[in-house]
Amino acid sequence: MTNTIAAVGGRTISAAPAAAAPRVRRSWAWIGVVPFFAFLSLFLIVPALSVFEQALHNNTFTATLGEHTVTSGGGFGFDAMKEAFQGQNLDAFWFSIRFSAGASLAGVLIGTLLAYAAVTAKRPKWLRSLVTSFSGVAANLGGLPLAFAFITLMGRQGLLTKILTYFGFNLYGGDFNLGQVSGLITVYSYFNIPLMVLITLPAIDGLKASWREASANLGGSSFTYWRRVGIPVLTPSLLGGFLLLFANSFSAFATAKVLTDNSKIVSLRLGFFLGGDINVGQDAIGYALAAWMIIIMAFCMGFYWVLRKRAERWQT
Amino acid sequence: MADINPLAPGLPLAIDPEVGGPPTAPIGGIPPRAGRPIARFGRLGPNLVLILCAVFFLAPLLALARYALQNVPTILLGRSTLFKKWSLGGLTKAFSDKQFGPTLTLSLKLAVGTVFLTLALLLPTAIWVHMRLPKMRAVIEFVTVLPYVIPAIALVAGIVVVKPHARWFLDSNYSLVPFYVILALPFTYRSIDAGLRAIDLKTLVDASRSLGAGWGTTLRRALVPNLRTAIISSAFLTTAVVLGEFTIASTLLKNTLPTFQAIYVKREPQGGYGLNLLALVVTTGLFALLTLLTRKRGSRKSTAVVAVAATAGQARTLAP
Repeated sequence: MTNTIAAVGGRTISAAPAAAAPRVRRSWAWIGVVPFFAFLSLFLIVPALSVFEQALHNNTFTATLGEHTVTSGGGFGFDAMKEAFQGQNLDAFWFSIRFSAGASLAGVLIGTLLAYAAVTAKRPKWLRSLVTSFSGVAANLGGLPLAFAFITLMGRQGLLTKILTYFGFNLYGGDFNLGQVSGLITVYSYFNIPLMVLITLPAIDGLKASWREASANLGGSSFTYWRRVGIPVLTPSLLGGFLLLFANSFSAFATAKVLTDNSKIVSLRLGFFLGGDINVGQDAIGYALAAWMIIIMAFCMGFYWVLRKRAERWQT
Repeated sequence: MADINPLAPGLPLAIDPEVGGPPTAPIGGIPPRAGRPIARFGRLGPNLVLILCAVFFLAPLLALARYALQNVPTILLGRSTLFKKWSLGGLTKAFSDKQFGPTLTLSLKLAVGTVFLTLALLLPTAIWVHMRLPKMRAVIEFVTVLPYVIPAIALVAGIVVVKPHARWFLDSNYSLVPFYVILALPFTYRSIDAGLRAIDLKTLVDASRSLGAGWGTTLRRALVPNLRTAIISSAFLTTAVVLGEFTIASTLLKNTLPTFQAIYVKREPQGGYGLNLLALVVTTGLFALLTLLTRKRGSRKSTAVVAVAATAGQARTLAP
């Protein structure tokens, strides 16, 4: 960190004879951001690193003596990290990855269609701003009220369940359940679709009418336009959106917690570990779950970051 | 001016209704329909998408409202009972619970604390970075994404690890404040950063300083009034985050409003659904009020609208 600042300061100096004045400025300019980084380290970085510190242990033995928790044995090693990816834990990861990918895919498809419908609709002038404003709100919903809303709609005693029964269709006849893949995809779509709308709107706006005209002038059909111009330009946004929605679904806790007790959902499983409901004495595995979660999130967000920069290229 | 978002050219002015897409090619006398294949296919597909989405997004809210406002079990719901026993009582039932008051108070205190700590931390930092360390902006922007990389449930795992070493601090209910500041950081930083980019910071500061004002006066009398919209929006976003946060509070066994919301439903379903409906309405109201407040200022075409538009909705997409 200090190095970059020094480099910044260094560039401004540029062999000026009066090197003394800039030097003074360089020496204290970075102090202004110290409180911010100190705060961030203390309340975000330190907890995150201590998760890894706990996870990177060989099989540990933990005992609670009154006030103090003593962890002994288990030096540095990858046992816990490996174990967190085996057996039931592996099942949980597969389940979570499956429903997150499903929820993300649904969000990407429907969100893009909705954004496209809103952008191309000309008639009610307010439609577009309604869709964007609502998306801004709904993308931030989630948590308890949303989960309860879906329980009242599609739970076993839900309104839709009742209405469908009235028409002779049993919603729970198949393997539908709010805590299983199908249900989670439905509920998570509620915040994933609006989020995707917010991601793709600028991208769809970036599709210039002149490109379509150019394609038409060169004899391209609508299909050719989409295949050669539209889709390639939108691809970084779509892929980036997929990753962000995936991360969003994978890490959601509150919504899932209300919907179900399904310990195949990694975030809930981690919650059970932290609440002491699973395997006392295997703390390291719980923290390894958290560590894997952070790794997966970092992977998704990292690529999202890169793709977003790429998508912005066409949005000027 | 109206068509181009000065913060991020190309981004739409999300809540400004008057702005359509900027015209890209001179249309002249050509009928605009000619070059648009959409017109050939008709609007059937897009309209269907819009209608289905409207149904999908309204249905859960209506169902929640039904359970909160009508005291008839689903099994008994039929033609004869459809219009019976509707009342607003379900909304306020929770107020009489003796746990409601303390949890609400705690959550409100946490919200106020989080808003103030956020502003105290972010305003000086963001101003400083804009003034003195512009190259640092990319670093800070990247760092503010970290709360997404380390989701609340993983963060709370870290807190549980640290807990034995900081019991004196973490045992207090108010220890949630700094963590909530972190959770809201992606929103709040983007809001304040966008606000700062919308004003001519250097001129304001130079003018104020050359008139003899110290840093405190400059901040209070020159910068804060110009950043009002950004400050209000980050305060609202923070409040919305705090009033909805469940993961950390429930894992650390703190009795905030959201944890009460979860428990109370099991004890008193109708009142619980009513409380959750109310929470939903309040949160949505906060966002709507935010839009409204900023739109009023927007009638003066102030760039601050853009700042909020870019954040309230798009903070989650981490757009700059």
